[in-house]
Amino acid sequence: MSEQHRDPSASGAPARPAPALSATNKFHVVAHDLPKVDGEGLVLGRPAYTDDLAPANALYVKLVRSPHAFARIVSIDAAVALALPGVACVLTWKDCPRVPYTRAGQGNPEPSPHDRFILDEFVRYVGDEVAVIAAEDEATAEKAAAFVAVKYEVLEPVLNFENALDNPIILHPEPEIHEMFPIGFEPKRNIAAAYHMELGDVEAEIAASPVKIETTVHTQAQQHVAMEPHVAFSYLDVHGRLVIYTSTQNPWHTRRLLGLALQKPIREIRIVKPRIGGGFGGKQQIHVEPFVAMVTLKTGRPARLALTRREVFEATFTRHEMRVSVRLGADPNGHLRAIDMQILSNTGAYGEHALTTFMVAGSKTLPLYNKIAAVRFGGHVVYTNKVSAGAYRGYGAIQGLTGLEAAMDELAHKIGMDPVELRRMNMIHEGETSDVFRIMGEGTEGVAMTIESCKLEECIARGKELIGWDPARLVREVAPGKLRAKGMAIAMQGSGIPLIDMGSARVEFQDGGFFKLHVGATDLGTGSDTILAQIAAEELGVEMKDIVVHSSDTDHTPFDVGAYASSTTYVSGSAVQRAARSLREELIAAAARKLGAAPGDIVYENKNFRSADGKNTLSLDDFSFDTLYHDGAAMQTIAATESFSGEKSPPPYMAAFVEIEIDTETGKVDVVHYAAVADVGTPISPMLAKVQIEGGILQGIGMALYENVRYSEKGHMLSHNMMTYPIPSREDVGRITVEIVDSYEPSGPFGAKSAGEIGIDTPPSAIANAIRNATGVRLTEYPFTPERVLAAIRAGAASGSIGSRLEGAGARTAPRAK
Amino acid sequence: MKLTITINGKNELLECAPGEMLTEVLRRAGYVEVKKGCDTGNCGACTVLLEGKPVLSCSYLAARADGKNITTIQGRVDEARRFAQFLTAEGADQCGFCAPGFTLTVLAMRDELANPSEADIRHYLAGNLCRCSGYEGQIRAIKNYLEAQHE
Amino acid sequence: MEIVEYSRPRSIDEALRLIRDRGGTPIAGAAWLRTNAKTIKLGVDLSELGLDFIRETERGVEIGAMTSYRSIETSELLAERFGGALGAAVSHVVGVQLRNIITIGGTAAGRYGFSDLNTVLAALGAKVVLYPKTALDFARYVETGAEGPFLIEKFILPARARAAFSQMRISESDFPVLNAAVAKTNDGWRIAVGARPGATRLCPRAMAMLGSAERPSDTTVAEAAAQAPAELRFGSDIRAGAEYREAILPALLRRAIAEVRG
Repeated sequence: MSEQHRDPSASGAPARPAPALSATNKFHVVAHDLPKVDGEGLVLGRPAYTDDLAPANALYVKLVRSPHAFARIVSIDAAVALALPGVACVLTWKDCPRVPYTRAGQGNPEPSPHDRFILDEFVRYVGDEVAVIAAEDEATAEKAAAFVAVKYEVLEPVLNFENALDNPIILHPEPEIHEMFPIGFEPKRNIAAAYHMELGDVEAEIAASPVKIETTVHTQAQQHVAMEPHVAFSYLDVHGRLVIYTSTQNPWHTRRLLGLALQKPIREIRIVKPRIGGGFGGKQQIHVEPFVAMVTLKTGRPARLALTRREVFEATFTRHEMRVSVRLGADPNGHLRAIDMQILSNTGAYGEHALTTFMVAGSKTLPLYNKIAAVRFGGHVVYTNKVSAGAYRGYGAIQGLTGLEAAMDELAHKIGMDPVELRRMNMIHEGETSDVFRIMGEGTEGVAMTIESCKLEECIARGKELIGWDPARLVREVAPGKLRAKGMAIAMQGSGIPLIDMGSARVEFQDGGFFKLHVGATDLGTGSDTILAQIAAEELGVEMKDIVVHSSDTDHTPFDVGAYASSTTYVSGSAVQRAARSLREELIAAAARKLGAAPGDIVYENKNFRSADGKNTLSLDDFSFDTLYHDGAAMQTIAATESFSGEKSPPPYMAAFVEIEIDTETGKVDVVHYAAVADVGTPISPMLAKVQIEGGILQGIGMALYENVRYSEKGHMLSHNMMTYPIPSREDVGRITVEIVDSYEPSGPFGAKSAGEIGIDTPPSAIANAIRNATGVRLTEYPFTPERVLAAIRAGAASGSIGSRLEGAGARTAPRAK
Repeated sequence: MKLTITINGKNELLECAPGEMLTEVLRRAGYVEVKKGCDTGNCGACTVLLEGKPVLSCSYLAARADGKNITTIQGRVDEARRFAQFLTAEGADQCGFCAPGFTLTVLAMRDELANPSEADIRHYLAGNLCRCSGYEGQIRAIKNYLEAQHE
Repeated sequence: MEIVEYSRPRSIDEALRLIRDRGGTPIAGAAWLRTNAKTIKLGVDLSELGLDFIRETERGVEIGAMTSYRSIETSELLAERFGGALGAAVSHVVGVQLRNIITIGGTAAGRYGFSDLNTVLAALGAKVVLYPKTALDFARYVETGAEGPFLIEKFILPARARAAFSQMRISESDFPVLNAAVAKTNDGWRIAVGARPGATRLCPRAMAMLGSAERPSDTTVAEAAAQAPAELRFGSDIRAGAEYREAILPALLRRAIAEVRG
C-alpha cells in the first residue's frame, strides 16, 4: 500500500462548516467528548476480563468436538479419560436434560426455532460439541479429551445452501424441536424460517415499467474476530445458586434460556458480564455457558472454559451467507416503481437469528426507497452442516443492501444517470414513512413510523465534497495499469426493536453527592457505560465523575435486553434519561420539604438547591449526608427506577463514498479513501460515535475485500485461525473519514439515535459500485479478491467497456430525455 | 523446569514445561495484562518487551527467557498512563483487549524511531490488530502523543 | 508444543553433536514450530551460539542463521548493498514483534513456500553454509533440501547486487499469493519466484533471455517475463488458484526487473 494513499491533505475538500445550532452549545455533558469511564484501567491491563477473574481453583473444561460434518453418535467411551488422575467428570448428551432451546440472545418468545440441545445424539457440523471434560488443569483436560473414544455413524452432509431446501437429507429429525410462534419453521424441508410479504402488485408494476433491472449477489459468511475469545466460568455461591461470569452481550436472555436448558428456575441463576473484549454479535448467543454450568452442577466446583481462537472460528457463530436477488422496475427518468427482493439465507447447523437477520435484510433496506408503488420481499432460511450462523453487526441489512445498492447503480448506468441523483430522487426524507415499517418487524409485524429525523440529503452533499464526486469523472488512470475509481451507497439501520427491546435504569443518590447508576445495558467496549453516564449527568446537572456506573449483573442491575439491534443509546439511554429525570424531581421535592418550600419554588442548578427568594440554600453534597444520616424520620434513600421500550426504531442513516485504486494487471483493490457521513441524531459522545463508525467501516471493508469463511469438500473449516482468516490490519486501508451531521431525533434521549451498526453497512455495496465504475463489470461474489477482480477486468477489457469508461462516457448528471 | 526471569524489575522464580511459550507462564504468574487473542502469532495482544524490544510472548519459548528481562505494561505504568490519556481522548480505547500490547508497542516505537511518519507508525504497529476502532482513532492518539513528547 | 528435553548449548559443536548424534531438533525462532504442535524429544535452542550477525568478509556479506528478520530489516549494510530488497521481503511478515523473533535460518530450514525472504536469497545467488563447512547453493537447497541431520550456520551473499522484490497478497497481514525477486549480480540476471504456493524456484530461461545485458530492452523484459509462467509449476490453495498465479507473474517480474534495471 503506497504512501501516497495516506496524504492527509489530498482530499481538497473544504473544511466542515461549523454547525449552526451545535448540540455542544446546548448541553454541558451530552454531545461532549469525554474519556470512557473504564479507559485507563483497561489500557493498563488491570484484571477485568472474564478469564482474568476465574477462581484459582476452578476446574478446566475442554470440549470434545465432532470431526464429521454430520453424524450420529453411536457410543461414547470415557472410561480411560475418567481414569486419568485429575479428571473430575466427563459429560455427554445422556447427562443433559432433553430440552430443546435456542441459544439466540433474543426476547421471549424467541423468533428463533428451539432446535438445539446442550448436547445431542447428532452432531451437525465439524466442531459441534460431543462431550464435556473437566480436570484440575488444562493439560490434563486436553489429554483426557484425546482419550474419549467416540463411535460415529457418519452421515452424508448438506454443505451447499443452494441444495438444502427439500434435500432428502434432513439435518433436524428430532421430534422435540419446535418454533415458539409461526416463523415458517419446516425442519423436514431443512427450513429454519421463511417469510413473505407483498404490497401492491410487484409483477404488474415491473411488467409495466419501461426499465427493468435484475441483479443477484452472493454474500459470504463472515467471522466477528472480537479480540477476546469466548469465555465463561461458573460456581455455586454460598446459597447454592449458579453464578456465571461470561463474555456475553445479553445477560438476561442467557439467564432465561439457560434456565430452560438446564431445567433450573431463573431465580437460581445469576449472570454477570465483566469487561469483555468485543462482541459484534458473536456474543449475542449462549456459547460456552451451558458447559461450565453443567460441570459446576455436577461437581459442585467452579469451572472455567476459554475457547481457543480456532474454536472461536470453527465452533461459535458466523454471519449468515445470503443470496440476494433484487428486481427493480423504473421509469426512464429514474423514478422507481417497484422493488422485489428475494433471499436465500444459510443459517448453518442451527437456527439462531435465522428469521430476524433474514427479515432485517429487507426491513432495514427497502424503506430507503419509499416512493414505490409495489414492494415484495421473501425467501427461506435453510439449514446446512456448517457452523451455525447468528447475529453479526448489520444483521442482514448489510447483505440486503449489497443487492439493493447494486441494482440501483445498475439502474443508474442503464439510464445514464448520476448514481447519487438516482438515490436523491427516490430516497426517504424527514416527515415521510414507508409501509415496510408497518409490515416488517423482527420476527413479527412491525410498527408504523413517520421519520422525524433524516439527514440523507446533507450526508450525501457532504460526502460528495469529501470524496470529490464528479459523475463525469468517476474513473481515471493514474499510472500505467493503475485505475482510480469512485463508488457510493446509502444505508439505514435502526435504534432498537420497537415494543420488543426494553431497558431499565436505576439511579440512587449517595453520600458524597454522587449517584449510583445501575443499568442492565451491556458495554462491549463500545463505551455504553460512559454515554449512559453522560445522559444521567446531563439530566441531573452534575459532572461525569459524580456518576458511578454498574452494569450487566442480573442480581444487581435492572433488566435490559442487552447490546444488539443498535439499542443501547436509544432504548437504554432513554431509560437512563427517564430515571435521572425522575430522580431529579424527587431530589427537588425532598430538598423543598427540607427547606420548607414548595418544589416549584426551588431552583436547582450548579449542584445547589435554593429557594426562589434566595434566602435558603442547600448544597447537593450537604443534602446527600442529611438524607442518609441527619434528617431523622425524614431520612431516605432517594432513588428512581424507570424503563423504556421504544414505540419506534428511528433509523440512523449514512451516505458513503469510496475511492479505490485498482491494479489492472493483478486485480488488487486498495481503498484509498472511504468517506462516510452519518446521521445519528445527537451523538451523546461524538468521538465514541465516530470511533464506532470507523470500526464498523473497516469491518465492512474486510467483508468486501479480504474476509472469507472457507470449507473443504468434507465440511472442514479451512479458514480456522488468524493466519487463514486475516482481518484488516492498519496497513490495509488508506484513509477513513467519518463525519456526523447535525440532526435531532425528537423521540430519542437528547435527540439521539443509535450508532452501533450503521458503520458496517455500506462498504460492500460502495466498493462493488466503485469496481463496477472502474471495470464495467458487476462483481457479485464476495469477497472481491484480486483473483475475482482480475477476471472482471479481463472481461471488461474484452468487451471494451474500460476504454469507454476512461473517455468519460460514464454517468451523467441529468437523466436522458423522457 | 525452573526459570529465573526478571519481570518488571522483579526477579521471579517460575516453573514451566520445556515447550511452553512465555504467555502461559506470565499469565500463570499473575501478569494477566498479557493477553491471549489468537493461537498463531497474528494479533499482538500478547506483546511484551524482551530486553526492551517488543516480542510476541506467545511465540517466544519461555525456557529461552531464563535470565532475561521482560517488561509488561505494568512495568511502564507511568508512561502507559500518559499515553492512555491520549488514547482515551480519542475514544479509541474501546474494548481494551488489544490495548496493553498495543500501548507497549507504541512505547517501544517511541524509543526506537525518531519522528516517524504516519506510514512508519502504521508499519511499526501493524502487528497489533484491533477489531473495534478501525485504527484511525489510535493513529490520531499516537500522533498527538508524539507531538506532545516533543514539546 | 511439547518439548520433552530442552537444551541450550553454548558451542556450535555441541549443538551439532546434539542434533546429529542424539536426534535433537534445532530450535531457531520457534514461532512457526509452535503453531505445528508436534512433540519434540530433544529441543536444541540455537540462540546462544553467536549466530546473530551481519558482517562483511572477503567472501561477501555474511548473515548468521540466528539473525532476526528485524535485524535484517534495519541493517544499513544490507540496505546499502542490496537496495532494500531484503528489507522489503522481511517487512511483509507482519509485526515488529514477530520480526524480532523469527530468523533467517529458521525460515530457510523450513523451505517454506510462503517465505518472501527465501525468494530474495535465491535471486541473490546466496549460499547456505551447513556447519561446519558445507556450502550449498541456496536456490538448489530450497529445491532439494540437504541430507541427514544438519545445522545451518550462516548465509553468504555476494558483496553487493542490484535487487528488487515484488509480491501479491490479498491483505497486508496475509501470507503471499505469489512473490518474486530479481537480482543483477556479477554473474548476470537471476529471477526467483516463490509462494506458487510451492517454495521458491529460479526461472533459468527468463534469466538466459536477459543474459548479461546491463539494461535489457522493454521488449526483452516483457518477453522474458511473459514466458516465465511456463517454466514453473503452480498450484491452487485457499488463497488463490493456479491460473491466477500464472496470470500475474509476468507483471510482478516486469516490475521487479524494471526496478533493478532503472
